[in-house]
Amino acid sequence: MALVELSHVSKRFTKGDETIVPLDDVCLAIEAGEFVSLMGPSGTGKSTLLNLVAGIDRPDSGQIIVAGTEITDLSRSRMADWRAQNLGYIFQTHNLIPVLTAYENVELPTLLLKLKASERRQRVELALEAVGLADRADHYPRQLSGGQEQRIGIARAIVSHPKVVVADEPTGSLDGQTSEQIQTLLQRLNQELGITLLMVTHDREVAGIAKRQLSLDQGRFRETNVRMQPNEIASR
Amino acid sequence: MLAKYILKTLWGHRGRTALTISGSMVAMFVFCIVGSIQEGLDRLTRSADADRHLIVFQENRFCPTSSRLPEDYARQIREVPGVRDVMPIQVWTNNCRASLDIVVFNGADPEQIRRSRPLVLTAGSWESFQTKHDAAIIGSNIAKRRQLQVGDQFSIGDVSVHIAGVFKSDVAAEENLIYTALSFLQYTEGLESAGLVTQFEVRVSVESNPDEVASEIDRQLRVGPVATKTRRKGAFQASTLSDLVDLIGFAHWLGYACVGLVLSLVATTTVMSVQDRIQEYAVLQTVGVRPFGCTRLVLTESVLLCLAGGAAGSLIAMVILSIAGFAIGAEGATIAFSPSLALFLKSVGVSVAVGIAAGIAPAIQAASVPIAQALQKE
Repeated sequence: MALVELSHVSKRFTKGDETIVPLDDVCLAIEAGEFVSLMGPSGTGKSTLLNLVAGIDRPDSGQIIVAGTEITDLSRSRMADWRAQNLGYIFQTHNLIPVLTAYENVELPTLLLKLKASERRQRVELALEAVGLADRADHYPRQLSGGQEQRIGIARAIVSHPKVVVADEPTGSLDGQTSEQIQTLLQRLNQELGITLLMVTHDREVAGIAKRQLSLDQGRFRETNVRMQPNEIASR
Repeated sequence: MLAKYILKTLWGHRGRTALTISGSMVAMFVFCIVGSIQEGLDRLTRSADADRHLIVFQENRFCPTSSRLPEDYARQIREVPGVRDVMPIQVWTNNCRASLDIVVFNGADPEQIRRSRPLVLTAGSWESFQTKHDAAIIGSNIAKRRQLQVGDQFSIGDVSVHIAGVFKSDVAAEENLIYTALSFLQYTEGLESAGLVTQFEVRVSVESNPDEVASEIDRQLRVGPVATKTRRKGAFQASTLSDLVDLIGFAHWLGYACVGLVLSLVATTTVMSVQDRIQEYAVLQTVGVRPFGCTRLVLTESVLLCLAGGAAGSLIAMVILSIAGFAIGAEGATIAFSPSLALFLKSVGVSVAVGIAAGIAPAIQAASVPIAQALQKE
């Protein structure tokens, strides 16, 4: 069974008289340990799909199973519990809590898990080391550069050992050199720690770091090798 | 972590936090002052003392200077069934109208005062009071207000006394009084009250009905040279202070207005805070904080703002009330503005309740934020 399974998922929005269909009967399967990038121009439904997998949005129809849990019908509270245990989210603009230090930001998701204080501390320190910012633990977000903030955001996403990490344009707000550092870091997380990654980007070069590249346009996957039927999902 | 996050958030917006807390502080300070006036009136009119004691006053007279009863009435009153004790009192006040600095002298038999009044001397001695003709013991409130102490000479109008003691009392209004010997006030030059008293305070036996005893006293004294009107002490004081009672009733609304002010102030701050940080709540929920967790965060923040301001304002009010010895009076009766633990706890409780009420709507907003939409606003 795939780690992430989307089966006939549709999502539509209404803007005035216009109905927008970012996802139209989409099916997708992602195996554990995969690094998948999702490309496409703005407004093609990449982020919508990412949000559905992350459980922060709900489809109009279809079924989403992540890490063995069908998340489509979970209540908000149960969905939050599920996210705390199974999901890491890397935001485009870092979204660190400004009043907390880098350490406290990374520690935040672990406070929602039943961990001993010593284990929590160890996880936070390891996560900060993994992103190369152990020496910035006491810094506040305003004292960090954009790239450092994003690395703290990545540490926060992996600290609770989630089954899936989703990244929404993780390099979208960074300069070229910093973007490369983040790309390298994401590759390392996938290759060395075996973290399953689903990354949304509009940048073809960034998408290239993923082992599997998908493209969305007008609510559907365009590349034939990724537009799968439910029976194909079952076979993977 | 919850506490650390909230405290850091409040500190991070310390300008807004300080303004909100100071606003709550001022409002709850006023709430406590108004509450202390209300409490003072309640104590005066609803105490056991007010219920089991009667005041015999001249009929159709209100100000103590106009009530002049023969001292000899005490003998007749003592014979009325149900009467346990009678204390003739000569009252002198510097002002019959409502005043914040009223000075009231009660002249009575020193031995009877010592026996029947719940007074505890904190300075001076009873012996000195009982042996010196112009000696007086003064309530702690008036001592604070007029900065008087044992050994001082205190003069006002035609009355001049030597302070022999300062007392505290369970009955707060007592602490605004000055007690002298009855004969001293009766024979003070200018008062012309030899053989006369202003009123009689009558203690009724437990098994008797005070109202029936009061009617019987008035009936028996009707044949005397001066007709009397006898009422329970509480009713007498409420009647004496009737104008003030209306004002205090109106001031009660001021207390409610203070609560409303805190509510709107803290609600505005909390709503602004949540709207400013709506993305932050979306992020918190994305990392796994439950919606109820966000509700708790917002409610705790608004309660803390209210509680900090409310507790500080109440504490300041209590300190000022205990130091200043405020009292308002009219026609010889006084209402003491005293600090009380009950009032402080009530004020703190109201602050917490207002904090919860102010935080409910923004807490719901933070908990029900559409996460994906809020994150797109970056």
